[in-house]
Amino acid sequence: MMNYIWGFMLIAGIVVSLATGRADAFTDSFLASCTDAVEFTLSLAGVMAVWSGLMKIAEESGLIDHAAKALRPILTFLFPKEKDSQTLAMMIMSFMANIFGAGNSATVFSLKAMERLDAENGHSPRASNAMCMFLALSMSMIQLIPITVIKVRSDLGSASPDDIILPSIAAGLISMAVSVWICKLFERKSPDA
Amino acid sequence: MPDILSLLSIAFLPLLITIILVWGIWKKVPIYDAFIKGAKDGLKTSVEILPFLLGIFLAIGALTSSGAMGFLQETTRPFFEKIGIPQELISLILLRPVSGSGSLVLAQQIMEVTGPDSFAGRAASVMVGSCETVFYVLALYFGVTSVKKMRHAFLSGIAGYIAGVMASVYLCHIM
Repeated sequence: MMNYIWGFMLIAGIVVSLATGRADAFTDSFLASCTDAVEFTLSLAGVMAVWSGLMKIAEESGLIDHAAKALRPILTFLFPKEKDSQTLAMMIMSFMANIFGAGNSATVFSLKAMERLDAENGHSPRASNAMCMFLALSMSMIQLIPITVIKVRSDLGSASPDDIILPSIAAGLISMAVSVWICKLFERKSPDA
Repeated sequence: MPDILSLLSIAFLPLLITIILVWGIWKKVPIYDAFIKGAKDGLKTSVEILPFLLGIFLAIGALTSSGAMGFLQETTRPFFEKIGIPQELISLILLRPVSGSGSLVLAQQIMEVTGPDSFAGRAASVMVGSCETVFYVLALYFGVTSVKKMRHAFLSGIAGYIAGVMASVYLCHIM
Protein backbone atom coordinates (compact mmCIF):
# COMPACT_ATOMS: atom_id res chain seq x y z
CA MET A 1 0.00 0.00 0.00
CA MET A 2 2.66 2.45 1.10
CA ASN A 3 4.72 1.66 -2.01
CA TYR A 4 1.92 2.86 -4.28
CA ILE A 5 0.96 5.92 -2.23
CA TRP A 6 4.55 7.08 -1.90
CA GLY A 7 5.35 6.48 -5.55
CA PHE A 8 2.16 8.22 -6.61
CA MET A 9 2.84 11.31 -4.49
CA LEU A 10 6.37 11.77 -5.85
CA ILE A 11 5.56 11.02 -9.49
CA ALA A 12 2.42 13.19 -9.43
CA GLY A 13 4.54 16.01 -8.00
CA ILE A 14 7.18 15.64 -10.72
CA VAL A 15 4.65 15.39 -13.57
CA VAL A 16 2.65 18.42 -12.42
CA SER A 17 5.75 20.50 -11.79
CA LEU A 18 7.04 19.73 -15.30
CA ALA A 19 3.63 20.42 -16.87
CA THR A 20 3.25 23.76 -15.09
CA GLY A 21 6.87 24.79 -15.58
CA ARG A 22 7.71 24.71 -11.88
CA ALA A 23 10.44 22.11 -12.02
CA ASP A 24 12.77 24.45 -10.13
CA ALA A 25 10.28 24.76 -7.28
CA PHE A 26 10.12 20.98 -7.14
CA THR A 27 13.90 20.65 -6.98
CA ASP A 28 14.17 23.31 -4.28
CA SER A 29 11.55 21.64 -2.16
CA PHE A 30 13.09 18.22 -2.74
CA LEU A 31 16.38 19.37 -1.25
CA ALA A 32 14.69 21.39 1.50
CA SER A 33 12.64 18.34 2.53
CA CYS A 34 15.83 16.37 3.20
CA THR A 35 17.09 19.04 5.57
CA ASP A 36 13.67 19.40 7.18
CA ALA A 37 13.44 15.69 7.89
CA VAL A 38 16.87 15.58 9.51
CA GLU A 39 16.18 18.70 11.56
CA PHE A 40 12.85 17.32 12.70
CA THR A 41 14.45 14.02 13.68
CA LEU A 42 17.11 15.88 15.66
CA SER A 43 14.48 17.93 17.47
CA LEU A 44 12.59 14.73 18.18
CA ALA A 45 15.71 12.84 19.29
CA GLY A 46 16.05 14.88 22.47
CA VAL A 47 12.43 14.43 23.56
CA MET A 48 12.58 10.81 22.60
CA ALA A 49 15.67 10.07 24.66
CA VAL A 50 14.31 11.94 27.69
CA TRP A 51 10.95 10.16 27.64
CA SER A 52 12.52 6.78 27.07
CA GLY A 53 14.72 7.51 30.09
CA LEU A 54 11.80 8.57 32.28
CA MET A 55 9.69 5.63 31.15
CA LYS A 56 12.54 3.28 32.06
CA ILE A 57 12.32 4.64 35.62
CA ALA A 58 8.55 4.18 35.61
CA GLU A 59 8.97 0.65 34.31
CA GLU A 60 11.55 -0.40 36.91
CA SER A 61 9.53 1.13 39.74
CA GLY A 62 6.38 -0.73 38.71
CA LEU A 63 4.44 2.47 38.03
CA ILE A 64 3.61 1.34 34.51
CA ASP A 65 2.00 -1.89 35.75
CA HIS A 66 -0.13 0.09 38.17
CA ALA A 67 -1.33 2.50 35.50
CA ALA A 68 -2.16 -0.34 33.10
CA LYS A 69 -4.12 -2.17 35.81
CA ALA A 70 -6.12 0.93 36.72
CA LEU A 71 -7.28 1.44 33.14
CA ARG A 72 -7.96 -2.23 32.42
CA PRO A 73 -11.78 -1.90 31.96
CA ILE A 74 -11.52 0.52 29.00
CA LEU A 75 -8.54 -1.26 27.59
CA THR A 76 -10.13 -4.71 27.49
CA PHE A 77 -12.93 -3.30 25.32
CA LEU A 78 -10.49 -1.72 22.88
CA PHE A 79 -7.74 -4.33 22.99
CA PRO A 80 -9.39 -7.60 24.09
CA LYS A 81 -6.31 -9.73 23.39
CA GLU A 82 -3.65 -7.40 24.70
CA LYS A 83 -2.21 -8.71 27.97
CA ASP A 84 1.26 -7.15 28.05
CA SER A 85 1.18 -4.31 30.57
CA GLN A 86 4.22 -2.58 29.02
CA THR A 87 2.54 -2.34 25.64
CA LEU A 88 -0.71 -1.15 27.20
CA ALA A 89 1.19 1.44 29.21
CA MET A 90 2.93 2.81 26.11
CA MET A 91 -0.44 3.16 24.40
CA ILE A 92 -1.99 4.89 27.41
CA MET A 93 0.94 7.28 27.66
CA SER A 94 0.63 8.08 23.98
CA PHE A 95 -3.07 8.89 24.37
CA MET A 96 -2.45 10.97 27.48
CA ALA A 97 0.34 12.94 25.82
CA ASN A 98 -1.94 13.53 22.84
CA ILE A 99 -4.84 14.70 24.99
CA PHE A 100 -2.62 17.12 26.87
CA GLY A 101 -1.10 18.47 23.70
CA ALA A 102 2.41 17.05 24.03
CA GLY A 103 2.59 15.92 20.41
CA ASN A 104 6.25 14.97 20.19
CA SER A 105 6.08 12.93 23.39
CA ALA A 106 2.99 11.19 22.04
CA THR A 107 4.94 10.20 18.93
CA VAL A 108 7.63 8.68 21.10
CA PHE A 109 5.20 6.51 23.07
CA SER A 110 3.30 5.52 19.95
CA LEU A 111 6.40 4.31 18.14
CA LYS A 112 7.45 2.30 21.18
CA ALA A 113 3.96 0.80 21.36
CA MET A 114 4.05 -0.06 17.65
CA GLU A 115 7.43 -1.77 18.02
CA ARG A 116 6.07 -3.89 20.86
CA LEU A 117 2.86 -4.70 18.97
CA ASP A 118 4.95 -5.72 15.98
CA ALA A 119 6.99 -8.12 18.10
CA GLU A 120 3.80 -9.58 19.61
CA ASN A 121 2.47 -10.00 16.07
CA GLY A 122 5.56 -12.07 15.23
CA HIS A 123 6.82 -9.36 12.83
CA SER A 124 4.09 -10.46 10.45
CA PRO A 125 3.45 -8.39 7.30
CA ARG A 126 -0.26 -8.40 8.21
CA ALA A 127 -1.31 -5.78 10.76
CA SER A 128 -2.87 -7.20 13.94
CA ASN A 129 -6.27 -6.06 15.18
CA ALA A 130 -4.59 -4.39 18.15
CA MET A 131 -2.39 -2.37 15.78
CA CYS A 132 -5.39 -1.27 13.73
CA MET A 133 -7.29 -0.21 16.84
CA PHE A 134 -4.28 1.66 18.18
CA LEU A 135 -3.91 3.45 14.85
CA ALA A 136 -7.64 4.21 14.68
CA LEU A 137 -7.48 5.80 18.13
CA SER A 138 -4.25 7.68 17.45
CA MET A 139 -5.64 9.11 14.23
CA SER A 140 -8.68 10.53 16.00
CA MET A 141 -7.50 11.26 19.54
CA ILE A 142 -8.90 14.46 21.00
CA GLN A 143 -6.80 17.28 22.38
CA LEU A 144 -8.05 19.22 25.40
CA ILE A 145 -6.44 22.52 24.46
CA PRO A 146 -5.32 23.01 20.85
CA ILE A 147 -2.81 25.51 22.16
CA THR A 148 -1.07 26.40 18.88
CA VAL A 149 -4.35 27.25 17.12
CA ILE A 150 -5.48 29.37 20.05
CA LYS A 151 -2.17 31.22 19.94
CA VAL A 152 -2.55 31.87 16.21
CA ARG A 153 -6.11 33.10 16.77
CA SER A 154 -5.17 35.51 19.52
CA ASP A 155 -2.20 36.79 17.49
CA LEU A 156 -4.61 37.58 14.68
CA GLY A 157 -6.82 39.58 17.01
CA SER A 158 -9.69 37.18 17.62
CA ALA A 159 -12.33 38.46 20.05
CA SER A 160 -12.52 35.05 21.71
CA PRO A 161 -9.57 32.88 20.76
CA ASP A 162 -10.59 29.96 22.96
CA ASP A 163 -14.26 29.60 21.99
CA ILE A 164 -13.14 26.90 19.56
CA ILE A 165 -12.14 24.57 22.40
CA LEU A 166 -15.52 22.97 23.01
CA PRO A 167 -16.42 22.52 19.30
CA SER A 168 -12.94 21.03 18.80
CA ILE A 169 -13.42 18.50 21.57
CA ALA A 170 -16.92 17.65 20.32
CA ALA A 171 -15.74 17.21 16.73
CA GLY A 172 -12.80 15.14 17.97
CA LEU A 173 -15.11 12.85 19.94
CA ILE A 174 -17.35 12.33 16.90
CA SER A 175 -14.32 11.53 14.79
CA MET A 176 -13.06 9.09 17.43
CA ALA A 177 -16.42 7.34 17.75
CA VAL A 178 -16.61 6.79 13.98
CA SER A 179 -13.03 5.56 13.83
CA VAL A 180 -13.44 3.04 16.64
CA TRP A 181 -16.82 1.91 15.33
CA ILE A 182 -15.47 1.17 11.85
CA CYS A 183 -12.49 -0.57 13.38
CA LYS A 184 -14.66 -2.80 15.58
CA LEU A 185 -16.87 -3.58 12.59
CA PHE A 186 -13.93 -4.91 10.61
CA GLU A 187 -12.53 -6.69 13.62
CA ARG A 188 -15.66 -8.78 13.91
CA LYS A 189 -15.55 -9.64 10.21
CA SER A 190 -11.91 -10.63 10.12
CA PRO A 191 -10.38 -11.75 13.40
CA ASP A 192 -6.64 -12.07 13.86
CA ALA A 193 -5.17 -14.91 11.82
CA MET B 1 -14.29 25.34 31.86
CA PRO B 2 -11.58 26.36 29.35
CA ASP B 3 -9.53 27.69 32.30
CA ILE B 4 -9.49 24.34 34.09
CA LEU B 5 -8.62 22.59 30.85
CA SER B 6 -5.73 24.88 30.08
CA LEU B 7 -4.39 24.55 33.62
CA LEU B 8 -4.47 20.77 33.20
CA SER B 9 -2.63 21.04 29.91
CA ILE B 10 0.07 23.24 31.34
CA ALA B 11 0.55 21.15 34.49
CA PHE B 12 0.46 17.76 32.77
CA LEU B 13 4.13 17.29 31.94
CA PRO B 14 5.64 18.67 35.19
CA LEU B 15 3.15 16.61 37.23
CA LEU B 16 3.84 13.43 35.33
CA ILE B 17 7.61 13.82 35.64
CA THR B 18 7.28 14.46 39.39
CA ILE B 19 5.17 11.34 39.88
CA ILE B 20 7.63 9.19 37.93
CA LEU B 21 10.65 10.49 39.88
CA VAL B 22 9.06 10.35 43.34
CA TRP B 23 7.61 6.89 42.73
CA GLY B 24 11.01 5.70 41.51
CA ILE B 25 12.84 7.01 44.58
CA TRP B 26 10.19 5.57 46.87
CA LYS B 27 10.58 2.13 45.25
CA LYS B 28 14.39 2.46 45.56
CA VAL B 29 15.03 2.39 41.80
CA PRO B 30 18.45 3.77 40.78
CA ILE B 31 16.66 6.51 38.84
CA TYR B 32 19.68 8.11 37.19
CA ASP B 33 21.02 4.80 35.90
CA ALA B 34 17.59 3.81 34.65
CA PHE B 35 17.19 7.18 32.92
CA ILE B 36 20.48 6.81 31.05
CA LYS B 37 19.65 3.24 30.04
CA GLY B 38 16.29 4.33 28.65
CA ALA B 39 17.65 7.44 26.96
CA LYS B 40 20.17 5.34 25.00
CA ASP B 41 17.28 3.25 23.79
CA GLY B 42 15.32 6.35 22.79
CA LEU B 43 18.18 7.73 20.72
CA LYS B 44 18.36 4.47 18.83
CA THR B 45 14.66 4.72 17.97
CA SER B 46 15.01 8.28 16.74
CA VAL B 47 17.78 7.27 14.35
CA GLU B 48 15.63 4.37 13.15
CA ILE B 49 12.70 6.61 12.19
CA LEU B 50 14.80 9.07 10.17
CA PRO B 51 14.45 7.14 6.89
CA PHE B 52 10.65 7.07 7.26
CA LEU B 53 10.51 10.77 8.02
CA LEU B 54 12.68 11.46 4.98
CA GLY B 55 10.31 9.48 2.79
CA ILE B 56 7.24 11.24 4.16
CA PHE B 57 8.73 14.74 3.97
CA LEU B 58 9.89 14.21 0.37
CA ALA B 59 6.49 13.00 -0.79
CA ILE B 60 4.61 15.83 0.91
CA GLY B 61 7.06 18.41 -0.40
CA ALA B 62 6.62 17.03 -3.92
CA LEU B 63 2.84 17.37 -3.75
CA THR B 64 2.72 20.87 -2.32
CA SER B 65 5.63 22.56 -4.13
CA SER B 66 4.71 21.29 -7.60
CA GLY B 67 1.21 22.72 -7.54
CA ALA B 68 -0.34 19.23 -7.59
CA MET B 69 -2.17 20.14 -4.39
CA GLY B 70 -3.64 23.23 -6.03
CA PHE B 71 -4.71 21.13 -9.01
CA LEU B 72 -6.44 18.64 -6.71
CA GLN B 73 -8.14 21.52 -4.95
CA GLU B 74 -9.54 22.88 -8.22
CA THR B 75 -10.81 19.50 -9.39
CA THR B 76 -12.55 18.69 -6.10
CA ARG B 77 -14.10 22.15 -5.68
CA PRO B 78 -17.53 21.30 -7.20
CA PHE B 79 -17.81 18.30 -4.90
CA PHE B 80 -17.03 20.29 -1.74
CA GLU B 81 -19.40 23.05 -2.81
CA LYS B 82 -22.17 20.50 -3.18
CA ILE B 83 -21.80 19.25 0.39
CA GLY B 84 -21.79 22.79 1.77
CA ILE B 85 -18.14 23.25 2.67
CA PRO B 86 -16.81 26.80 2.13
CA GLN B 87 -14.15 26.88 -0.59
CA GLU B 88 -11.58 28.50 1.71
CA LEU B 89 -11.45 25.25 3.64
CA ILE B 90 -10.79 22.89 0.73
CA SER B 91 -7.02 23.23 0.73
CA LEU B 92 -6.95 22.73 4.49
CA ILE B 93 -9.08 19.57 4.27
CA LEU B 94 -6.71 18.16 1.65
CA LEU B 95 -3.48 19.15 3.38
CA ARG B 96 -4.34 18.32 7.00
CA PRO B 97 -4.07 14.51 6.58
CA VAL B 98 -0.46 14.73 5.43
CA SER B 99 1.13 17.67 7.19
CA GLY B 100 0.60 19.01 10.70
CA SER B 101 2.86 22.06 10.45
CA GLY B 102 1.80 22.79 6.87
CA SER B 103 -1.88 22.76 7.76
CA LEU B 104 -1.32 25.05 10.73
CA VAL B 105 0.31 27.63 8.45
CA LEU B 106 -2.57 27.22 6.03
CA ALA B 107 -5.15 27.71 8.80
CA GLN B 108 -3.31 30.87 9.77
CA GLN B 109 -3.50 32.14 6.18
CA ILE B 110 -7.22 31.37 6.03
CA MET B 111 -7.77 33.36 9.23
CA GLU B 112 -5.67 36.26 7.96
CA VAL B 113 -7.90 36.51 4.90
CA THR B 114 -11.32 35.82 6.40
CA GLY B 115 -10.69 36.90 10.01
CA PRO B 116 -10.28 34.52 12.97
CA ASP B 117 -13.90 34.96 14.09
CA SER B 118 -15.47 34.45 10.66
CA PHE B 119 -17.21 31.17 9.92
CA ALA B 120 -14.35 29.87 7.75
CA GLY B 121 -11.80 31.05 10.32
CA ARG B 122 -13.53 29.27 13.18
CA ALA B 123 -14.15 26.11 11.16
CA ALA B 124 -10.48 26.06 10.15
CA SER B 125 -9.45 26.41 13.80
CA VAL B 126 -11.75 23.62 14.93
CA MET B 127 -10.52 21.41 12.13
CA VAL B 128 -6.89 21.85 13.11
CA GLY B 129 -7.89 21.33 16.75
CA SER B 130 -9.80 18.12 16.16
CA CYS B 131 -8.62 16.37 12.99
CA GLU B 132 -5.40 14.43 12.97
CA THR B 133 -2.73 14.02 10.31
CA VAL B 134 -3.99 10.56 9.36
CA PHE B 135 -1.70 9.72 6.43
CA TYR B 136 1.35 10.92 8.27
CA VAL B 137 0.45 8.81 11.31
CA LEU B 138 -0.21 5.73 9.15
CA ALA B 139 3.11 6.05 7.33
CA LEU B 140 5.20 6.78 10.40
CA TYR B 141 3.64 4.28 12.83
CA PHE B 142 3.59 1.36 10.43
CA GLY B 143 7.05 2.44 9.30
CA VAL B 144 8.67 1.07 12.45
CA THR B 145 6.94 -2.32 12.04
CA SER B 146 7.18 -5.12 9.47
CA VAL B 147 3.58 -4.53 8.38
CA LYS B 148 2.85 -4.43 4.66
CA LYS B 149 -0.93 -4.90 4.84
CA MET B 150 -2.51 -2.12 6.91
CA ARG B 151 -5.93 -3.81 6.80
CA HIS B 152 -8.75 -1.75 8.32
CA ALA B 153 -6.43 0.78 9.98
CA PHE B 154 -6.53 2.74 6.73
CA LEU B 155 -10.30 2.87 6.39
CA SER B 156 -10.89 3.59 10.10
CA GLY B 157 -8.55 6.56 9.92
CA ILE B 158 -10.08 8.01 6.78
CA ALA B 159 -13.64 7.53 8.04
CA GLY B 160 -12.75 9.19 11.33
CA TYR B 161 -11.11 12.06 9.48
CA ILE B 162 -14.11 12.68 7.22
CA ALA B 163 -16.42 12.54 10.25
CA GLY B 164 -14.15 15.05 12.03
CA VAL B 165 -14.20 17.45 9.08
CA MET B 166 -17.98 17.29 8.71
CA ALA B 167 -18.44 17.69 12.45
CA SER B 168 -16.11 20.72 12.50
CA VAL B 169 -18.09 22.50 9.83
CA TYR B 170 -21.48 21.56 11.26
CA LEU B 171 -20.62 22.33 14.87
CA CYS B 172 -19.35 25.77 13.87
CA HIS B 173 -22.80 26.45 12.45
CA ILE B 174 -24.58 25.63 15.70
CA MET B 175 -22.07 26.38 18.48
